[in-house]
Amino acid sequence: MLNLLVLTILFSTPLILAAMGGYTSERGGVVNIGLEGMMLMAACVGAIASVRFGPVGEVVGGIIAATIMSSLHWLATQIYHIDHVISGMALNAIAAGATNFLYLKLSDPAHGSDLPHIPITIFCITAFVIPFLIWLYSRQTRGGLRLLSVGSDPDKARLMGIQPVRVRFFGLLATGVLTGLAGVELVAYTGVFTDNMTSGRGYIALAALILGGWRPIPAFLACFAFGFFSALRLQLQGTPLFGAQLPSQLWAALPYIVTVIALAGLLGRNRTPAGLGKH
Amino acid sequence: MIWRLIAMVVGACAILVGAVLVAHQSPVESLHTLIHGSLGSPAAIAGTLREATPLLICGLAVFIALRAGLFNIGVEGQLLVGACTCAVVAIRLPGVPGMILGVVAGMVAGALWALPAGLIKAYRNGHEVITTIMLNNVAIFITSALVAGPIKDKTQADTATAYVAASSRMPWLYRTPTVEVNFSLVLGILLAIGMALWLKRTVAGYELQAVGANRVAARFAGVSPQKVTMLAMTISGALGGLAGAVQVLAYEGRFYDGFSPGYGFDALGVALLAGGSAYGVLPSSLLFGMLSKGGTALQIDGVPKGITTVVLGMLILIAAAIRYRKVTTTDA
Repeated sequence: MLNLLVLTILFSTPLILAAMGGYTSERGGVVNIGLEGMMLMAACVGAIASVRFGPVGEVVGGIIAATIMSSLHWLATQIYHIDHVISGMALNAIAAGATNFLYLKLSDPAHGSDLPHIPITIFCITAFVIPFLIWLYSRQTRGGLRLLSVGSDPDKARLMGIQPVRVRFFGLLATGVLTGLAGVELVAYTGVFTDNMTSGRGYIALAALILGGWRPIPAFLACFAFGFFSALRLQLQGTPLFGAQLPSQLWAALPYIVTVIALAGLLGRNRTPAGLGKH
Repeated sequence: MIWRLIAMVVGACAILVGAVLVAHQSPVESLHTLIHGSLGSPAAIAGTLREATPLLICGLAVFIALRAGLFNIGVEGQLLVGACTCAVVAIRLPGVPGMILGVVAGMVAGALWALPAGLIKAYRNGHEVITTIMLNNVAIFITSALVAGPIKDKTQADTATAYVAASSRMPWLYRTPTVEVNFSLVLGILLAIGMALWLKRTVAGYELQAVGANRVAARFAGVSPQKVTMLAMTISGALGGLAGAVQVLAYEGRFYDGFSPGYGFDALGVALLAGGSAYGVLPSSLLFGMLSKGGTALQIDGVPKGITTVVLGMLILIAAAIRYRKVTTTDA
């Protein structure tokens, strides 16, 4: 039982961090399906940096890499006015290709998984505190309310003297830091970088954000639930349930199915930020 | 805006040249390898065409949705579901009926897989991108579960279905031991021509593009955006399923775990590069096919294949920046 709880926390940590990264970008009105790519890039650069600069360098390197990716997203969507979805897809492609390339070319195969890492507990604590901080920030501070206003109605925000492009830049910087942490956590947990190691976690985080109605605390709970189901899947592997053995893939598909049902409006009203994807 | 565009292209080229230099290769030589590996010999050209065929059909699937103002990112999932269904049907029916029914089953499965995305977009105003991403992942897991269990061929070690009988495979246009070109390429080209004509010459095609250009204006003109959304998503899904079916019946001969190396995702780039006409999908799928085949040659040469994916990503960005330039210069 305790084991299940520990596993749940471990599995939900990267999801929470990434989902909060998605929050700061999507509530500012920038559709972000590039979370996956940002995490992947952070994981790869973090793994490479850890060999040279140790555990702190790992975190810093990962955050910088993800921040560069998220700034690219800002540049593409806000300055070049490229459609947000296209930019996100392109970033995911670039991250998938670049990490494959970088890791094969820059990593040192002599150094294996014996490198020191920042303890996972720190990531877990950060992940469980940040949603509440973000909730406070977006409800109680000028900056947070500006972010929400830009995401809800950029034109009215402009009339109020807020520059959406600038507010979104800071939102995406936060996205970079948070997805960077999420990516580094993956490397710190497994010890090595492997090709496509995020394996859809960015999309699950996005799903959790949508299920949570683009609100930090519900999104956090959704991440926790998804983490719980992953943990349950690991625990139940091989044991028959309701008389039949369910293939583990069906468990893995569950978060996505629930999200489609939520999108169909069968789980409460549609809370999509009104200004999502607008300029 | 044109300067920004130039800056972007120059930046992208600089990153690529830098990456090739990091790999301790000469950029000129890498380009040579890329072109030689994809167009240098009859076998290489056949390999490029083989890669280009699913990209062409998937590209058309994304393209038709794009004309209606929808992003069908779910082509990957629709392809997998279509391929899986087609394999199941075609294995059980030998001969030409197996081929035809397999194709039909694949198309129906693909269309059904796109249906929730269309419904949610049309009647719930949920973004089709999110729905299709979720459905992609569901498709990946479900087909993987099916091919590991119920539809697995127990006589072989791989997680794959049995092979489709040779009599129900698609015919070859040209075949020697090293060079194979399948009839499916012609099918893809005919589809592109058919789609271009349909969009240009029929009322339904016109209405579809009207909704894509301006939903509100189309509604005032008496076109139902809901109906068009459903139609476009269904056609798109059916084409995605068709791509999967063709892939099973033409080259692969069976369905296996990890069936698509991301054709559905690359197809988004294919459709964006194609511009405003379905004919444009032909050269752009060829280009992507070249990159894919040439990337394998580069890999042998010591440049990781990932570099071609980076090129794809940058091509998508640049194509998108050009494509939306006219729309955005007014408010930029």
